[in-house]
Amino acid sequence: MITAWLRGHLLFTFAVLVPTVCSVLYFSLIASDVYVSESHFIVSSSENAMPSGGIAEMLMGASLSHGQSDSSQVHDYILSRDALKELSERLKIEQIFAHREANFFDRFPGLTGGRSFEELFLYYTKHVSVEPDPMSSISVLSVRAFTPEDARRINAELLDMSERLVNTLNERSRRDLIQFADNEVKIASDKAKDAAVALLSYRSNQTVYEPNKEAAIQLEGVSKLHQQLITTEAEIAEIRKLSPDNPQIAGLEGSADLLRKTINAETGKVTSSSGSFSARAPTFERLQLDVEFADKQLGMALAELESARAEAQKKQIYLERLTQPSVQDKAMEPRRIRSIITAFIVSLLFWGIATILVATVREHGE
Amino acid sequence: MAEASTTSLADSFAIQWRVIRALFLRELITRFGRDNLGVLWLVGEPMLFTLGVTTLWSLAGLAHKGSGIPIVAFAVTGYSSVLMWRNSASQCTHAIEGNRPLLFHRSVQAIDVCLARIALEVTGATGSFIFLSSFFTYLGWMQPPDNIALVIEGWLMLAWFGASLALLIGAACVFSDLVHRLWQPVSYILFPMSGAAFMVDWMPKKMQGLVLYLPMVHGVELLRHGYFGTVVKTHYDLGYMAGFCLVLTLCAVYLVRVAGHRIEF
Repeated sequence: MITAWLRGHLLFTFAVLVPTVCSVLYFSLIASDVYVSESHFIVSSSENAMPSGGIAEMLMGASLSHGQSDSSQVHDYILSRDALKELSERLKIEQIFAHREANFFDRFPGLTGGRSFEELFLYYTKHVSVEPDPMSSISVLSVRAFTPEDARRINAELLDMSERLVNTLNERSRRDLIQFADNEVKIASDKAKDAAVALLSYRSNQTVYEPNKEAAIQLEGVSKLHQQLITTEAEIAEIRKLSPDNPQIAGLEGSADLLRKTINAETGKVTSSSGSFSARAPTFERLQLDVEFADKQLGMALAELESARAEAQKKQIYLERLTQPSVQDKAMEPRRIRSIITAFIVSLLFWGIATILVATVREHGE
Repeated sequence: MAEASTTSLADSFAIQWRVIRALFLRELITRFGRDNLGVLWLVGEPMLFTLGVTTLWSLAGLAHKGSGIPIVAFAVTGYSSVLMWRNSASQCTHAIEGNRPLLFHRSVQAIDVCLARIALEVTGATGSFIFLSSFFTYLGWMQPPDNIALVIEGWLMLAWFGASLALLIGAACVFSDLVHRLWQPVSYILFPMSGAAFMVDWMPKKMQGLVLYLPMVHGVELLRHGYFGTVVKTHYDLGYMAGFCLVLTLCAVYLVRVAGHRIEF
């Protein structure tokens, strides 16, 4: 009787009963439990996390794009072939996906049977997803596997790998930023050292410390001698006036002569062309200027390095785990009842359309 | 099933096929005639529409946003998809009423008239899309599609949506003239929201959720995903669109049948 009814309602049988029975069979007997492990993380840079208030805060809030691009770097990496390669080196992901208890359709080599890396990648992208939440910039990483522990392990490993990626990125951007400034500092400090050494060696070679000051001291000495000479000459003149034959005169004139000679010699030391202070002054001045200039350059380069460091610090991005990879104690997927109901409704819709269309087609032949 | 039928289902279908084909040719001639370009206007008309819109959008500099999509390709993929559902539906508003005398023939059904018009519009839009995209690709203004299979999939989904919408509108027009009056403004409002002039990804998250209730947005996004590949980020859910179209189709075929009977008797 049932077969008679089924034959009478061929369309209903094929459009509704068969698909629904198939889906009931599949979801109750065949479909394997799938466990989902979820973790939440946030990729932020210290630039965004700057403490500020009022308008500045509003503006910072508006420029969330920076943090977004940082997190999309991480998302892109997680769903990349590189990540899968690294993952399969660490976890033997192929075996995890080819779990024995999983049914033929859901297991890794699956229906196509291919075990190539590309097929593994395709399978991987269907079982790992990263969903960004642009409002809160929190990312949700979910991994599907056939045991809860496998899902958790893959998830945890992916998080570790992402952290490493973030560190590498930071390291690279820090290096790029600082390298140039560092080089400048090196060059400037070399120059400063060279200039200082040149000045020192000049001082020791020429046995002079600071020609200008020394010349001043020298000239001061000369002027004292001049004064003495003038006093002596005045004394001589006075004595001559009083008693021209005074025997003291010869002695005084002798000392006046000596003074004159000394004055000439001492003035020569300051101004004569060879080896005098004034001859040495230009070289010394230049060397001293070199030292000053090199010092200033070094100071500037150091300041720049400092600001580059600060900049690098600001550009630093962090991956912060908000929740650790979860472990499900009950498989929430596949949603068996829901899927069966969906299949039933869809096949009912099909049946409805088909019934009406068939009736319409038949009217053509009446 | 229908006891009165004297011919088999296959024969009936053959008859219907011939009817639709004849109606298609009849529509073609009555609409475009044999003057100047004649039936070439079938493709020419939507092409001119698309060209005009493309020029306008290029001048207005829409689709800048640094999305990396050339504006010509953006306009061609967007506007062609609009033509699919809007023209089909607009042409169907008068299909049943206008062909009332034909419906008294035993073998001409209301659905045949609508299907013939839909086929005409879909053919025209498809021809225009293929012609324009190959022409612009030849000129170097457009890249060839990244994944043709996805483009075809998106196109077929849009055609399905267009057809079921057109059937529904066409049938509803029989019951009330109001539908015809309302359809024009509604289609104008739907056009800017249909995803032809924007990518869902450009929208703020809240708007995205709202816009993705419209089934044609999914079709356009799928089409663009196929055309531009991963250059653009697309959001679509084929399951949603298929479910929507399925329900729409059921309502449409039911309503057309009722409408047909109402006209005949």
